[in-house]
Amino acid sequence: MTCDQARTQMLGGGEGKDFAEHLESCESCRNEVSRIGTLWQSLDLLPMEEPSGQVRERFYEMLGAYRQGLASAEPRRAFQWWQMAAAAALVVVGLGIGYGVREDKSRPELVQLREEVASMRQLVALSLMQQQSASDRLRGVSWSYQVEPSDEEVMNALVTTVNHDPSVNVRLAAVDALRPFTGSPATHVMARNAVIQALPKQTTPIVQVALIDFLAELKERNAAPELRRLVSDPDIDSGVRKRAEWALERMQ
Amino acid sequence: MAEVSGGQVARLAVLFERHHRPLFRYFLSMNGNRELAEDLVQEVFFRMLRYRTSYDPAQSFTAWMYQIARNAGVDQARKRGTAQVVDIDTFVDRRAELVSASPDPEESVSRGQDLALLRRAMDQLPEDKREILVLSRFQGMKHEDIAEVLGCEVGTVKVRVYRAIRALEQIYFALEKEKAS
Repeated sequence: MTCDQARTQMLGGGEGKDFAEHLESCESCRNEVSRIGTLWQSLDLLPMEEPSGQVRERFYEMLGAYRQGLASAEPRRAFQWWQMAAAAALVVVGLGIGYGVREDKSRPELVQLREEVASMRQLVALSLMQQQSASDRLRGVSWSYQVEPSDEEVMNALVTTVNHDPSVNVRLAAVDALRPFTGSPATHVMARNAVIQALPKQTTPIVQVALIDFLAELKERNAAPELRRLVSDPDIDSGVRKRAEWALERMQ
Repeated sequence: MAEVSGGQVARLAVLFERHHRPLFRYFLSMNGNRELAEDLVQEVFFRMLRYRTSYDPAQSFTAWMYQIARNAGVDQARKRGTAQVVDIDTFVDRRAELVSASPDPEESVSRGQDLALLRRAMDQLPEDKREILVLSRFQGMKHEDIAEVLGCEVGTVKVRVYRAIRALEQIYFALEKEKAS
């Protein structure tokens, strides 16, 4: 090892056999290692300055403002997406039909087109479900019937709608729209659990009844504890209680 | 950062808590101005949000962050029409802090003077040498990450670190000689 090579190893990494041998035989490098090493170590002793508390304050203000900006920009952006997506979907569907009429269905182009159509449908459904207007959200729920029932993203959007949408009509439509997902091998467990978990979150009797009917139809025994709780709740609507009793009987 | 990049912007708070101090010290070492260093820390986190989708999870986060920090520092210096220059007057305060913190008065005075001299030597280093020492010694960055930040080979980083510490040593001894005479 030369002195030049040894120098680049002095500050970290200088642990090899060659380096040690070089130091043994070279007094100049030995002195340099000692000198520079001391200086290197003493850099650690320099005082560590602390930023003022204002840095944290300003950061959280900035982060809050940024998140708010993102949230308020979301509906507008979503609207543009679904418009574009709908237009693109129509084009793709048109092309797909054209190919389908003329060509063998097993062709890879057709498979790709089908995938694109599915992706567009997903985009339209998801975008519409985020709209301000309840009628647009209802349209989004309707679009969800056109996606593959294995599509987790759309299923999760429907679950969010069931749990949080302010409109009863939209929530009811979303409960119905979850049905295909309970039949898909990819999503049936998640969808069933989501329906069970949605029941205690609801306070509107008509939506509660819709969920109970759905669970009874599925013969979902894991829902029994929640149904029993509804039966024994003195404050629950009498129609809901009767429906819960009926569902429990049906599950036995 | 991958989560922030994926849309969970609130997770930036975790990164802020972990990195804002080292970033502040980096800027302070580079420009010697506390207020400006704090502004730049803010700017770095804002740029992280703004350019979050450009983050590649395969890349080192530290390297990505310091690339942003360097650019922010350069933009700021360009705006002010100056290089990042350190304010020499800050040594006096720092030395006083060191002296009062040490239990043995004689030792602490001598140590404080040595460190004040070292600080002064650091601040007199050319900007590129100071930066590479700050990144490798104060920020504890790996040579690989520094190479990514500076856009050079790892071997070049090792050579530049060595040259920077040698330059620091020369300035330090010159200052010491000046003081003794």
